[in-house]
Amino acid sequence: MRVSRGTRLSLRVVALGYLFVLLAVPIGVILWRTFEPGLSEFIASISTPAARSALNLSLLIVAITVPVNVVFGVATALALVRGRFRGRGLLQAVVDLPFAVSPIVVGVSLIMLWGAGGWFGALDRAGFQVIFGIPGMVLATIFVTLPFVVREVEPVLHEIGQEQEQAASTLGANGWQTFWRITLPAIRWGLTYGVVLTVARALGEFGAVIMVSSGFPGVSQTLTLLVHSRYIDDHNTYGAYAAATLLMGIALVVLLLMTLLDRKRSDR
Amino acid sequence: MITVTSARKDYGSFTALDDVSLDIPSGSLTALLGPSGSGKSTLLRAIAGLEELDSGTVTIEGRDVTDEPPQRRGIGFVFQHYAAFKHMTVRDNVAFGLTIRKRPKAETAKKVDELLEIVGLDGFQHRYPAQLSGGQRQRMALARALAVDPQVLLLDEPFGALDAKVRTDLRQWLRRLHDEVHVTTVLVTHDQEEALDVADRIAVLNKGRIEQVGDPVTLYERPANDFVMGFLGSVAHLGGQLVRPHDIALERDRATALALDAKVPDSPGVIDAVVERVVPLGFEVRVDLRADSGERFAAQITRRDAAELQLREGETIHARAVGRSSVVDHDPALAI
Repeated sequence: MRVSRGTRLSLRVVALGYLFVLLAVPIGVILWRTFEPGLSEFIASISTPAARSALNLSLLIVAITVPVNVVFGVATALALVRGRFRGRGLLQAVVDLPFAVSPIVVGVSLIMLWGAGGWFGALDRAGFQVIFGIPGMVLATIFVTLPFVVREVEPVLHEIGQEQEQAASTLGANGWQTFWRITLPAIRWGLTYGVVLTVARALGEFGAVIMVSSGFPGVSQTLTLLVHSRYIDDHNTYGAYAAATLLMGIALVVLLLMTLLDRKRSDR
Repeated sequence: MITVTSARKDYGSFTALDDVSLDIPSGSLTALLGPSGSGKSTLLRAIAGLEELDSGTVTIEGRDVTDEPPQRRGIGFVFQHYAAFKHMTVRDNVAFGLTIRKRPKAETAKKVDELLEIVGLDGFQHRYPAQLSGGQRQRMALARALAVDPQVLLLDEPFGALDAKVRTDLRQWLRRLHDEVHVTTVLVTHDQEEALDVADRIAVLNKGRIEQVGDPVTLYERPANDFVMGFLGSVAHLGGQLVRPHDIALERDRATALALDAKVPDSPGVIDAVVERVVPLGFEVRVDLRADSGERFAAQITRRDAAELQLREGETIHARAVGRSSVVDHDPALAI
């Protein structure tokens, strides 16, 4: 298709303008407001006990969620692509459920399930607190991030097919060796992207987590919850900006780290 | 020796293998030849263990491997679409089987270099499969399969994805390689020319059954039935019989034709036919003919015979069968 110079230019302007208004401006405003009073003010704001605890909690949740989702996500994707079993169609649909269900609903259902009066309430009454504790927040985060790895890995598995794996097996590799040496390297880009999305969502999840968190600053607040409580409850606008910047910074570092790691691995 | 006994495989209502039994002698290069859907690939994959049989057994060099997974069958397998490990260099691809077996590094490196030299990929050690042509990728796949010293080498339409020139080059090369390495080789192909060219034994498959097994000459000259005859080369229908086009002689004089035909037993007789077209094919000339019955057939005669006959389109000529390559399904000794 031939497009005239004028059309091409105006298309470009529209696309860039759209991105600018919707993405660059809000991020820019936050960054500007954060660093306006100076770097020391920013550091002070993100090193209060509440902020440090929130950072730790967010990272802890990510550190639990990512491995769980990687293991089960890859296994689920393999089952969906390679498996021939009854209920495969149902599994396909169930995997997308977290995309369809509002996070608040997830929070509510978790309370109904694990809360003191819920089906698994015995655990709570026995002293192992799930709801209003860290396990509940982890469960909520795992639920909402479940589809990312599956949905990123699945199309890659489809694309590479089974021939490479079959070739490996004829060359003497058993199931595990084939998985580690052939399947995993082949899906690593999809997996990387799935992990990045999982991390971003796990850091940023609000609705599901706020329902199952007791919300005490310094105890059970994630960074995202901290941004909210500083802004709404404490009217600490600057503190909210600073925490938000920290949140963005972590996500950016993760993205960079994954890209670098992958480049290094494929160079080898 | 590979022995397949009473192999059966169904995919739903489709029968891929219907009670197939086959012996493949050690050191031979056997082609499994047949149209698509004949079960030839399924049979090869069953030998490799990539396909599980519904019933029947597979033994390789006297060992029953029916329930063994592919990695314990002592095989090398080459896929039509190469199945190259895309994230590995040529060297790592070829070394894969040895790395899995945890062979010493020096031994592996030596073996890989040797093999790459044999397949003509010396100097390509550090390339990735994406940087190779189709023919090079397939040669890499062959080196990879040979690296583990397989008892049998199984090739599934190995040249099917390559263009015509590379295909013929590579199959000549495979033939020479087999003469050097002598590993029992089974090749799946739907191309009769390829089978006749490289194999010393051919098994013709059709609809999940083996129609005939034998050396190329026997199969070509004494096909067990119409299917084998039709699949291994072109055929002409002459007076209700199948005849090879080059086994048809053309005579100007009807009396001469009848006299000569009388000496050939079981011949279809002399057929009067109109010359529709004369096509020079280089060494030979193809004559398209139409019999009085309306049936069309083609005769293939030498340039010299054609010059002597001075055929013109539209004139009538007398055709008779000469050779002995007609179907022998009435001969129970040769039928399978």
